[in-house]
Amino acid sequence: MSACTPKSLASSGQKPIQEMCHPLGAEEAVLTPSPDVRNITSSIGEKDQILPNGTPVETSSPSSSSSLLNRLQLDDDLDGETRDLFVTVDDPKKHVSTMETYITYRVVTKTTRVEFDLPEYTVRRRYQDFDWLRTKLEDSQPTHLIPPLPEKFVMKGVVDRFSEEFVETRRKALDKFLKRVADHPVLSFNEHLNSFLSAKDLNKRQGLALLSKMGESVKYVTGGYKLRGRPVEFSAMGDYLDMFTQKLGTIDRIAQRIIKEQSEYQVELREYGPVYTTWALSEAELQGPLEGVASCMANCSSALDELTQDMSEDFLPVLREYVLYIESMKIVLKKRDNIQAEYEAKLEAAAFRKEEKASCTQVPTDVEKCHDRVECCNADLKSDWDRWQNNKRQDFRQLLTGMADHNIQYYEKCLAAWESVIPLLRDKQPQETETEED
Amino acid sequence: MLSVYQVYLLPGNSVYCGSTISPSQIPLYTKCILRLKVILIFYSLQGRTLILKDIKSHESLSLVCITQLERRMADAGNKESAPIGGDEFTNTELENNKNNTMVEEGSTLLRRMEISVAEAEKRTGKNTVNMQEIFTVYLIETRPIDAITEGHNPAPDSLWRRYSEFEILRNYLLVTYPFIVVPPLPEKRAEFVWHKLSADNMDPDFVERRRVGLENFLLRVASHSVLSNDKILYHFLTEEHRWKEVVYETGFQAKADSRIKALSATFRVKNPDKRFTEMKHYSDELQSLTSQLLRVRARVADRLYGVYKVHGNYGRVFSEWSALEKEMGDGLQSAGHHMDAYAASVDDMLEEEEHYADQLKEYLFYAEALRAVCRKHELTQYELETASSDLISKKQQREELATGMVRTFSFKGMTNKLFGQETPEQREAKLSLLEEQIVQGEETVTEKTVECEEYVKGAWVDMQRFKEQKDRDLREALIGYAVMQISMCKKGIQVWTNAKECFHKM
Repeated sequence: MSACTPKSLASSGQKPIQEMCHPLGAEEAVLTPSPDVRNITSSIGEKDQILPNGTPVETSSPSSSSSLLNRLQLDDDLDGETRDLFVTVDDPKKHVSTMETYITYRVVTKTTRVEFDLPEYTVRRRYQDFDWLRTKLEDSQPTHLIPPLPEKFVMKGVVDRFSEEFVETRRKALDKFLKRVADHPVLSFNEHLNSFLSAKDLNKRQGLALLSKMGESVKYVTGGYKLRGRPVEFSAMGDYLDMFTQKLGTIDRIAQRIIKEQSEYQVELREYGPVYTTWALSEAELQGPLEGVASCMANCSSALDELTQDMSEDFLPVLREYVLYIESMKIVLKKRDNIQAEYEAKLEAAAFRKEEKASCTQVPTDVEKCHDRVECCNADLKSDWDRWQNNKRQDFRQLLTGMADHNIQYYEKCLAAWESVIPLLRDKQPQETETEED
Repeated sequence: MLSVYQVYLLPGNSVYCGSTISPSQIPLYTKCILRLKVILIFYSLQGRTLILKDIKSHESLSLVCITQLERRMADAGNKESAPIGGDEFTNTELENNKNNTMVEEGSTLLRRMEISVAEAEKRTGKNTVNMQEIFTVYLIETRPIDAITEGHNPAPDSLWRRYSEFEILRNYLLVTYPFIVVPPLPEKRAEFVWHKLSADNMDPDFVERRRVGLENFLLRVASHSVLSNDKILYHFLTEEHRWKEVVYETGFQAKADSRIKALSATFRVKNPDKRFTEMKHYSDELQSLTSQLLRVRARVADRLYGVYKVHGNYGRVFSEWSALEKEMGDGLQSAGHHMDAYAASVDDMLEEEEHYADQLKEYLFYAEALRAVCRKHELTQYELETASSDLISKKQQREELATGMVRTFSFKGMTNKLFGQETPEQREAKLSLLEEQIVQGEETVTEKTVECEEYVKGAWVDMQRFKEQKDRDLREALIGYAVMQISMCKKGIQVWTNAKECFHKM
């Protein structure tokens, strides 16, 4: 199983965390805190923004957003905002028991938070556990956007659940999930996350998980209230998500098509090179040049193989996982709608009752509570939306830059192959040596 | 110090930059075939670096290599005087060129005359069955070298010829010089076409490539030590109207060997020169390999086209997506443009690669010419063997008649036995006839022996020349191909680097 190097950890300007060697990190970039650290004041209800490892978090204050964005670079870390929770998912292992076979992943946590008893934890979790965590988060933070998990069900006949590729893709997605949660100013303080990261055994809670599954989240999603007036900004969000999903679908199709075309090109290329080799056998002086060309083509062919594989493994899965992220966002929007609808309904009912009892001037408390909930939900959603937008921007920047990189590497390999063959082509038999200067 | 030189490169050669050459070592008379067009190149020198510029646009040609020149530097080995500027040629430069042409001995037409196929035009006319047809004619321009060297710049003489006339010329040369590997014509119909390329003979790209191929043919013929001296060739280049009559008057069509004769000779010949048999096998291999290579290359080109074009879809979707975004929009939009450029770049690259395909095709057709020379040897050898065995049998008959012993079976002998012996007078008559035939036979055998030996000698020399030319040309072709691939890779790196920068800015 491959133990992948996780994304480099961010540095903290204040703590010596940057000097701490990550348990898995073989090549760790030495990170320097940037001098112009800005203490970003948070809005009410949120703690200090922590900068994530790899997926930076945006605050809701616009001025800091742009400055952060300006300094964002791929895999480079930001300056020393207080970061006190780092999580990583790696080291997948297969477990075989009498009942079932499954994969567990190692979850490593490093933190200075007081909510945690120890500064470091290492636990083993399986997909089920991540699912449990997500459900718990959804239940306890119904108004927040919970990052998605990779697909739960895979058709046993179609996909090999234990293939290196599948496991690695899943691991990456789980790692991303946990990092997004850990970077969230509210979610990261959730007690269930704490348990997930630190508890030796989650088994005892499985039962509870099943029961609580039918909890509040369902109510908020399927609430039977009808929404009257949705604020424009939330409508715009919904529209955007729809159109964005469409674009992602198109990009996915294009990427698949390219991979297909490249494979067909590869087939022809594999036949092309050997013809030169065969020809070389019939020739005397041209034998060297022809064989050189043939081996050059073989090199280009294997470079193309790598490109296609990289695109299949790195590009497509991430693209597809984003669709899930969009779905999560849509669900949150829907929840918000329902909360607002509930409020509106209660308000209307209260207004009715008010008419009947003309003396009552007070707004009933449960309507007030509803109103508060609406306000709270809207605020949470807006900040989550901003965060989501930024994550999206970072993720796609990384994804597309990765795609460009893969292609550049492919062309560089081919270029090297062809350039190395030129002196061979120009070189003649020993009797006619020429000294050439480039 | 800047000096300007006008240069020509003989066909099959290519040039690329990057090498340093001292001014005295540049051979003149090299015409470069680049990008399907024949262009004149100015070499300009700054210090010791050679820079090649397009004569029209004066932009530097980065794809142009100077291997041929370097090889000639090594080959020539004689001191040349420094060339002078402008389009003047001194005698030493012509001498230089003589060493650097493909033919070593004799004076060739090309040295006395500048030849080019400058243009192509469509004409309409009536064909042999009096039906209207459209055909293409090509303008052949010629200019005597002397006129140029004397500092004048006279207008070239010119005439129009169509493809079929080139075919007649070539057939004439094949019949008249069977021991020469006669340069081939460009293909009659477009073959090994990848899908975007047109298979239509009227397609302008096809016509243009054919124009280049026809010029290549003329240059090769005119630089061949034997072929270039042919009068019919000279007429072809200079006499527009009477040429066809003149060529038919030579009666070359009658001299052509019948296919059946040639084929049966191949099967029945007993002792062909081993080298020719080997060469024939080689020509078969060359033909099958180049043809296979061309076929696969066309498929590869097709697939590559597909890969590039699909990337154009990224351009569109990035553009649409960028309309949805605020901050990401600009980066996406620009990246989309680069994807469009990437998709569009494949057209030019594949068009350039056609030049490589044309070079391979030339040798595909050359293989056939080579085989023809080998088979002609088999024919002459067979004729010699036949004449020899005829002579032997005639001599045996004479012996039998003289001694009365029947060694060979013959109907005459049998009927003689059945119907009685012949008279002494009859026998005398037969003997003297046989004697005559034997004398003739011996002459024939001597003739054929000489013919065969001379054929072998001449053909072997030309086949060696051909071999060296082939090695040179194909090496150049491979280098050109590699250079094209390098250029393609560099463009790819450029585009994706640009796109990456745009993604960074997202």
